[in-house]
Amino acid sequence: MEVLYLLIPLALLIVSGAVGAFIWAVNSGQFDDTESPAVRVLMDEDESQE
Amino acid sequence: MNQPEHRSPDRPEPGDATKPCAHCGLPVAVSEDPPEEVFCCVGCQSVYHAIQDAGLDSFYELQDRGGEAARADADVSHLDELDSEAFQERHTTLRDDGRREADFHLEGVHCAGCVWIVEQMPDFVEGVDVARLNLGRARLHVVWDPESTALSQIGEWLAQFGYAAHPARSDGHSRNEAGRDLLRRMGVTWAIAANVMLLAFALYSGLGPDAEAGLFHAFRYLSFGLATISVIYGGSLFFRRAWASIRPLLADPSSFQPSRLSIDIPISLGIIGGYTQSTVATVTGAGEIWFDSITVLIAALLTARWLQIRGRRIAGDAADRLLSVIPTTARHVAPSGRTVSVPTDALEPGSVVEVRTGEVIPADGRILEGHSAVHRGVLTGESRPESVQAGDRVHAGAKNSGDTLRVEVTAAGDASRIGQLLNWIDERDAQKAPVVELADRIAGIFVLVILLGAALTWGGWALSGSPEAVRHAVALLVVSCPCALGMATPLAMTMGVGQAARRGIYIKHEGALQQLEQLDEVILDKTGTVTEGDMEIVSLTGDLEAVQAAAFLETASAHPIAQAFERWLVGDAPDRVEPASRPPMTSVEEVAGCGISGVVDERHISVGRPEWLVDTAGSPPQRFRRAIDAGLRDAQTPVGIVVDGDWQAVCTVGDPIRGESTLLVERLRDAGVEVTLLSGDHTDVVTSVAAEIGISETSAFGDVSPEDKRAFVRDRVEAGAGGRRVAMIGDGVNDAAALKAASVGIAVDGSANASMVAADVFTTRGGLRPLIDLMKGSAGVMHVVRRNIGMSIAYNGVGISAAAAGFVTPLVAAVAMPLSSLAVVISSIIQNSFEEGPQPTASQPGRVEPRAARNSA
Repeated sequence: MEVLYLLIPLALLIVSGAVGAFIWAVNSGQFDDTESPAVRVLMDEDESQE
Repeated sequence: MNQPEHRSPDRPEPGDATKPCAHCGLPVAVSEDPPEEVFCCVGCQSVYHAIQDAGLDSFYELQDRGGEAARADADVSHLDELDSEAFQERHTTLRDDGRREADFHLEGVHCAGCVWIVEQMPDFVEGVDVARLNLGRARLHVVWDPESTALSQIGEWLAQFGYAAHPARSDGHSRNEAGRDLLRRMGVTWAIAANVMLLAFALYSGLGPDAEAGLFHAFRYLSFGLATISVIYGGSLFFRRAWASIRPLLADPSSFQPSRLSIDIPISLGIIGGYTQSTVATVTGAGEIWFDSITVLIAALLTARWLQIRGRRIAGDAADRLLSVIPTTARHVAPSGRTVSVPTDALEPGSVVEVRTGEVIPADGRILEGHSAVHRGVLTGESRPESVQAGDRVHAGAKNSGDTLRVEVTAAGDASRIGQLLNWIDERDAQKAPVVELADRIAGIFVLVILLGAALTWGGWALSGSPEAVRHAVALLVVSCPCALGMATPLAMTMGVGQAARRGIYIKHEGALQQLEQLDEVILDKTGTVTEGDMEIVSLTGDLEAVQAAAFLETASAHPIAQAFERWLVGDAPDRVEPASRPPMTSVEEVAGCGISGVVDERHISVGRPEWLVDTAGSPPQRFRRAIDAGLRDAQTPVGIVVDGDWQAVCTVGDPIRGESTLLVERLRDAGVEVTLLSGDHTDVVTSVAAEIGISETSAFGDVSPEDKRAFVRDRVEAGAGGRRVAMIGDGVNDAAALKAASVGIAVDGSANASMVAADVFTTRGGLRPLIDLMKGSAGVMHVVRRNIGMSIAYNGVGISAAAAGFVTPLVAAVAMPLSSLAVVISSIIQNSFEEGPQPTASQPGRVEPRAARNSA
């Protein structure tokens, strides 16, 4: 069972990575508009913006 | 008598030669033998083929084909405003690299094709770097190089596709930030909850201090550490709100009322109780921990709150799209005679401004030069423009539909009449009692029951000599933490509000639903609410050809009656005649207040008031006489047409009553609601309309100014002891203050923007049918709210009894609490408050609800 002392911190590390990614996504505005990106994939022109 | 069907020209009926656009479903005018697929615009065509090529045909089965009809040409009159320095200063920001950026609300975006077109902008307009369109919010973000392109060019480019760009005035940023903050807290607390639960599994399945002491304590300390983050980062939101509701009571204990305690108090109590007990247990190494229940509780409640904010944003956004009534810039006439563009705010009494045709008067003032007609509908609800000349007073917000005017400003900004009306809207109306959420009303009693229960449990167990007394009391605090109760109201209402928004009904705050369910009185505005709001030819007697010739003549005039003729010409006339091929007109002469005459197609035609025509053509024949009398009886304006000295036709022009008005009044009556009609129009017209839709004469009031409307509504609200629930339904700026004063203000489709901002609910679907849906839907939502609250109370009753009896262990709580919340969530999701009855336009491709571009009553 000693392996848990390694695995649990490891699991928490992964979780904190996921939480960090989530916070980054929120901060970069990816949840502000959940409608337009779905529509944008329909356009096969080269994205000339950004 | 020839009764033409009432319809506006921009509303093609299925019988007309139109076909739905293959992509977006908007009606497209087609020739005799239309191809299988027709398109309303190039954008739709491109997207349609892109979708077909990609094999994504099912898109067309899924997509919502509702929305507003695209207008071929957007209003470009305000584009010059975009380039003025005042505008640039106020609505755009300069970036470090010399580019400017701005947010616009685009009118008329509704589908993927729109996103595609708009985002092509950088390829077509030189100097534009970025154009991003948020479809849901109809917001366009543009970054451009002011050196190589002017903002008006961008506006022009958009206008050619029919999109009108308006600066996004509200600060969407701060609200975005509030939503993001909650989302971050939600993410973190759910991640913690999941991990604490995993640790709890191990503890529940037998990891004890005897078997693996090291691991046991490690798990508990770890849970403690994670839960601490969750309580501080996520729970603090509830603590703060709980504290905010207790603080005034501490300062003044005599003001105590159970209803003033918020639901956050029992929630905070549960979190703190459970957390404290668990912390002690962790440190001492003995006793139970509740960290798993607490962390799930915090995450679930944050989710409910986030959903609530998101639901509100839908309606809030839609309200923000509205443009302001007063232009941001004015043409100031300097003493030298030159006109300069200045911000409207900078105008002072005494300054002189120039107002050109089609522009809105920026400030209250007196006319110095010019003779014109102004449309004051925005202020008074009057549907006819008035002719004005030097010396007359004009008000900000009125539209100049005639010649250029020079106006000496007497009051600008907040001091102007419309400024005061708008201020009333902003003002937090003290008379309007804050709506207490149902759950909050119970919260006070709840706190007392829980505290009493906890005390009794502790006392009872302590007296019986049990060392577990504290444990049982804490179990009670935790298990009765009103998670389900806290979610009951917001969830049910958020779901209901979301359903309503999909049907074109935007409810800005959930309190409105509660008020709507138990209305005492509904006050209806006439112009634009009960009636269409635009002058139309209602009946027609005599020679159609003469009417057509008269209509050609009327195109030379800007009078509203002339506009009714023009509308008839493009919409209902037997032969459609392109403007280019219209017959020539000579010696056209307009006599103010009487009519217009001229030579069309070598015939001399006079159109106007029958009394005026009597001078040239003598008394009208008997059948025309009857038509004139009938028109007058129905409060319409009779218009005679004389060709070469002979009476040829009589039309009556009026503001047609919406078909659903009668139904709405009937439904409200059946529900036991008093219905009143209120209007700025003449009393005769108002009583006649009232009679038509089934409102008694005693409940119809005419000649009411906007200020009086507000007072009237306020009186009605205060008439009953403890206040009555009065809904005001209106559309014009003149209704805005009244909408705010009512318990619930409802602005109907095509409303003036100020009234949409002032209203608690507004609709974007044409007609009054949404209001009928709204009445039914709000009752449905409230039913779900009560069902949810009933379930949560039942759960808590069982929970408290079980805890008092000592049956509740952390494992029981960990199972029972989420179950109770889940029951509430499911009950909220399966509601169909707004989904009953016939589906909206979405299910009928090709039939698009009209969305008239009306801005005033």
